[in-house]
Amino acid sequence: MKKNVSINFIITLIVLSIISCKKDYGNLNGPSVEGYINNATKDQLNNLVSGTESAMRNNLSLYLDDVGVIGREIYRISGSEPRFITDLLGAANATLSNNAFYITNTWSSRYRVVKNANILIEAAENSTYLTDAERKAYIGFAKTIKAYQLLLISNLTYNNGIRIEVSDPDDLGPIENYDASLTAIAGLLEEAKTDLTGSSVTFNLSPGFAGFNDAAGLTKLNRAIAARVAVYRKQWAQTLTLLNDSFFSLSGNLRIGAYHFFGTGSGDQLNGSFIPQNQAGEIRLVHPSFAADITPSDTRIGKATLRNAPFSTNGLTSDRDAWVYTSATDPVPIIRNEELILLYAEAKIQTNSLPDAVTALNVIRTAHNAGNYGGAITAPALLDDVLRQRRFSLFAEGHRWIDVRRFEKLATLPIDRPDDDVWSAFPLPLTEQ
Amino acid sequence: MKKIIFFLINVLAFFIIQVNLYAQDKTIIGKVTDKNGAPISGVSVTVAKTNRGTVTDYTGNFSIAAADNAMLVFSMSGFKSQELKAGDNIQVYLIEDVARLDEIIVTGLTTNVKRSNLANSVATISNKQLNGIAPAQTLDAALNGKISGAYINANGGAPGGGISVKLRGVTSIYGNTQPLYVIDGVFVDNSSISSGMNVVTNAAPGATTSNQDNPSNRIADIRAEDIENIEILKGASASAIYGSKAAAGVILITTKKGRQGRTRVNFSQDLGFVKVRKLLGTRALNEQNVAGMGWDVNEYKAAAAAGKIYDYEKELYGQTGFTRNTVVSMNGGSDKTTFYFSIAQKDEEGIIKGTGYQNSGLRLNVDHRITDNIKIGLTTNYIHSSADRGITGNDNSGVTFGIALSSTPGFTELHPDANGVYPGNRYAASNPLETRDKMRNNESVDRFISGLTFDALLQQSVQSNTRLVARGGIDFYNLQTDVLFPGTLQFQAVNKGTSIQGFSRNLNSNFIVSLVNEFRPNEKISFTTSAGTTQEARDFNNLLNVATQVISGQSNVDQAGALTATQFRTKVQDNGVFVQEEVLINDAINLTGGIRFDRSTNNGDPEKFYAYPKAGASVNLTRLGLFKGTFFENFKVRAAYGQAGNFPAYGSKFTSMAVSNIGGLPGSVVNIQQGEPTIKPERQTEFETGIDFSILNGRVGMEISYYNKNVYDFLLLRTLPASSGFTTQWVNAGDLRNQGVEIGLFAQPIAGKNLRWNTTVNFWLNRSKVTRMDIPPVVLGSFGEVLGVFRIEEGKSATQIVGLTDEPGYMPPIKVWGDQEPRFQMNSFNEFTYKNKLSFRFLAHWKYGGQNVNLTRMQNVFGGTDKDWDKDDNKNGMPDGLDAIMTVGSTAREFIANSGYFRIREIGLYYNFDKLGMNAIKSIRVGVSLNNYITFTNYKAYDPEASNFGTGFSSGIDVLPFPASKHAALHLSFDF
Repeated sequence: MKKNVSINFIITLIVLSIISCKKDYGNLNGPSVEGYINNATKDQLNNLVSGTESAMRNNLSLYLDDVGVIGREIYRISGSEPRFITDLLGAANATLSNNAFYITNTWSSRYRVVKNANILIEAAENSTYLTDAERKAYIGFAKTIKAYQLLLISNLTYNNGIRIEVSDPDDLGPIENYDASLTAIAGLLEEAKTDLTGSSVTFNLSPGFAGFNDAAGLTKLNRAIAARVAVYRKQWAQTLTLLNDSFFSLSGNLRIGAYHFFGTGSGDQLNGSFIPQNQAGEIRLVHPSFAADITPSDTRIGKATLRNAPFSTNGLTSDRDAWVYTSATDPVPIIRNEELILLYAEAKIQTNSLPDAVTALNVIRTAHNAGNYGGAITAPALLDDVLRQRRFSLFAEGHRWIDVRRFEKLATLPIDRPDDDVWSAFPLPLTEQ
Repeated sequence: MKKIIFFLINVLAFFIIQVNLYAQDKTIIGKVTDKNGAPISGVSVTVAKTNRGTVTDYTGNFSIAAADNAMLVFSMSGFKSQELKAGDNIQVYLIEDVARLDEIIVTGLTTNVKRSNLANSVATISNKQLNGIAPAQTLDAALNGKISGAYINANGGAPGGGISVKLRGVTSIYGNTQPLYVIDGVFVDNSSISSGMNVVTNAAPGATTSNQDNPSNRIADIRAEDIENIEILKGASASAIYGSKAAAGVILITTKKGRQGRTRVNFSQDLGFVKVRKLLGTRALNEQNVAGMGWDVNEYKAAAAAGKIYDYEKELYGQTGFTRNTVVSMNGGSDKTTFYFSIAQKDEEGIIKGTGYQNSGLRLNVDHRITDNIKIGLTTNYIHSSADRGITGNDNSGVTFGIALSSTPGFTELHPDANGVYPGNRYAASNPLETRDKMRNNESVDRFISGLTFDALLQQSVQSNTRLVARGGIDFYNLQTDVLFPGTLQFQAVNKGTSIQGFSRNLNSNFIVSLVNEFRPNEKISFTTSAGTTQEARDFNNLLNVATQVISGQSNVDQAGALTATQFRTKVQDNGVFVQEEVLINDAINLTGGIRFDRSTNNGDPEKFYAYPKAGASVNLTRLGLFKGTFFENFKVRAAYGQAGNFPAYGSKFTSMAVSNIGGLPGSVVNIQQGEPTIKPERQTEFETGIDFSILNGRVGMEISYYNKNVYDFLLLRTLPASSGFTTQWVNAGDLRNQGVEIGLFAQPIAGKNLRWNTTVNFWLNRSKVTRMDIPPVVLGSFGEVLGVFRIEEGKSATQIVGLTDEPGYMPPIKVWGDQEPRFQMNSFNEFTYKNKLSFRFLAHWKYGGQNVNLTRMQNVFGGTDKDWDKDDNKNGMPDGLDAIMTVGSTAREFIANSGYFRIREIGLYYNFDKLGMNAIKSIRVGVSLNNYITFTNYKAYDPEASNFGTGFSSGIDVLPFPASKHAALHLSFDF
């Protein structure tokens, strides 16, 4: 009898515990992706737009360091991270690793934006709260940003290729070679332009997009990026057409353009490329060749200010700090008029309109007190000057290494230590192989 | 929950009707001594088959009410227990139990057996071993070197703890690797909560927190002085009944309980000091090598002429810290109610100025018998702890003490001028002296742990009794982290002052309600059946405020130009049901079987129950009559099998959107971790077998165990092709296996009337292997192949360390350079007692083999301050420092180093004055002790125990940690 009672208890206990309070707490720390893809509201889509714009800044300073160090624009000295001056400069036997921060972090940060843009596209397509014109604006913006991010990745891995089709994480598209990648990026920009045409922008962008935050502005920005891609693809005539549709202006302010905005607001980011002058430990020094090669009167020397004392480490010495970003909230250009003018000059040379090129070069030169072009009016000589002006005008903006590479002049970059190497491309991250 | 309470009321009503009346009792008195006639105090005296009990007093005397023919059971840890029929003025002699055969081991959630019938090898640590040799600063440090089968590794020397405990190899790769801690039935939290230090160090770029923030783990809050003993269930075969929380083992802590009789008061005071265990020294400088480093030769010459070449390492890490610890404890009670009360405070300075640890605690344990059949026990513990931990370890901003020191030559001036202004460091991003003097990194915890045990005899007959045992409790704490780096610091030029204020609230709660039936149809056989239900819940909420542009002299986050907040919450509820059956035949054969079903809200399917069975058998051959007359006093063979699990981490099933704002616009960006909606727990199966025997009348005992532990569907944070937009995803990726051997020897080589020597020697080793891997090899837990990294790969050891190599024949040029797993470990605990007054104890620990990734040396070589930079050991005509630098990027040879050591962890010498002839003071104990004073190792950094990544899988990555320290102390203890 008593035994039965205790058995009853056991059964009661078990039953009780099984039927007691069913629970699933859900995600307490943020929205889930599904919530955006299934019929997003306009507010949700706007959050995705801002998230996309914001995330473009993740590891941006590392990207600039990557291309700046290999392109011998700067030395990135870090007390805690030797690989900036070993691997990136190819010291002794060091090579670029396929599993080191300098490629994995930049690669993943750019693709994260691509993913966000893809979610934005899918969410906009599925949303029932939008007019067609509004929908097209979201999609056009997303595709433009996506193309721009893919272009940056392609800049890093170059001939090793990139993935273009990445919308399904479980079935990624193939690695496309450099030419195919650029073709795809150009195609994406064309699609975006079609979407933006006649669209109605109902989302806000940061002050970094001032002047480019409506359909017309975004279209101009899209065309400017497309012009850069066209130059990379050596489609000279096409470049000139694209520049015409962009915000290119020979007489305009050189700094007009779209920028990555930085701010101190909650959840915002600071410009990681800013380091105060005369620091030790964590610094960006200007490669000594910059000051050695610049015309004495050139005001662009202001981008390389003299330090109180030179800094040396491991066979590298410089007495100048990189001083392009002079505060923690200084914006970083996405693309600006000064580059467009130089793209124009290059395309004009390549299409054999040399006087137009000289005019463009002189716009840049006089703006920086470097004197008018006085060299030979031949395509090779003028191209040399385009490369030179790009070097000083776009210093520390992520161009030098890519420019020298497409001009096939990597071998001309200065070597500081006998066993250093100049790399032509980053390897694909280990996880992509 | 309501239903459970309702149910309990029903149960209460039920047993009130059931209460039996007892036959007439009388008072039995007696005395307990050892074989030499010395009285033994604290022996538990219980009336068999009842809940009644008392303990012997200081003179070994006891008195207890019992029926005339009742059996009295005398037991005391360290002695063999005895049963005697109640009589007048009984004399009891207890014999030392060197092999600890009579030790009671908790095997179920609410049941236990004697060690001599145990089917598993269960390690136990007594209070004396834990805290009686050379007390460590925190509980986790006190465990180090004391658990056979464990790999315990301190993360660094920062005050307040931070220690990883891995039982029987690596049981999980990305899941929880740390054992479950249960204190008096309460599942306590052992989290490490980041203070947001990553904002300053940027060790993991772009994040607010990282696993490199060097937080302490919360088990450190618990005071060792309050602990009676610790049992360690090392694997699933012993811990299966804890189900899906038990894969990494279970550490069961029992705190001291009150004893009946006169109120005994103890006051103990420790005073001591702490010093750095080892300094690395710095490079001897001359004009040549100063110039070679590109440092300022003129500055060097001027400093040398002025005699101002400093040893900054010594200045920073060379402080002698003062330590004190005061404990007042009281225990006593009546036959119905007993209590243990303690109040204690510890204050220890660190080896770096401004660092230190404080812990104040209050404990009250009360046991009360409501009737002869109903007992309740209440444990309550309030703790306040505070740790100032400095800023050490890896960083990418050049701001931790170690990173700054590594590139700072001794000739540059870092001391403040007459106005207190610190010069900027020309050779690093920060001036470490300035940082030390101006910064703050404090963790402070207010914690309340309380448990309740309810034990009622529901039914009793000649053959059977049934008890309801309900245990439960809460562990609640508020953790506040306070990090401040004022704007005047050299490296705060951009942020102009950073204040990070973190607030965490954690509530763990759990209960077990079970019924235990003991059925004894005859003298030869008994059945213990238990069944019950459990629930464990955790609710954690962490708010981290990061303020920059902080107004000078302020730290409140509103006194700042910019403020960013992050909040992280987790909420989990697990439910389980279990049934367990133990059969004991002839007190010689023990058979155990049980099963537990668990579900968790962290699983992909929160409704699904996962089953964890277990079974075990032990056969005591001597009790069966075999080996009778041989020199075996006791001989047992045993085998056990069990399963346990490890729940996925909170949030593994979601793909979340993170916040990422720009220009005042709120932004959502997809998280880099892809959710896995079908995630399920890891499952561990363990088979353990062994023999235990004792010889020479129990003066020598041995335990030999072998185990084979398989972890199925281990959780892995798989690295995804980052082009998917995600970098990681939780997956159940494969299987791994741990096999190992544990050998324990207990002996009393000297057992004279005056001198006794007790010794235990343990030997253990573990080997792991990844037996199945569904995804390509994954590297994790360090900084990549260039410097050495763990790689999880089928067919290989789970803890192998791989790195680049320039040796021919490797394509890709990566080879296995080492393994975190030691080849073997040994420890030995020894106690010499002279005339029961003088006691000398020491604990030695030998870890043979096992590798670290030693980046401490690399950083110093890179910074040009390594002591051996200019040596040329390989005679190639180049300084070794340069050689090491040149290898970076082509081979990881220089970084992966053997981290074996032989260490005298604890030495203590104590003297007991007990015949004082005073009424007030019964005895005085005086002692001196040394903690971690002697280490032999070839390892070239501060200490072979280091972990830059905290307590997870990847211990042994050494990046300029807080240097380890050693303690010396004087102990005074008074019994009133």
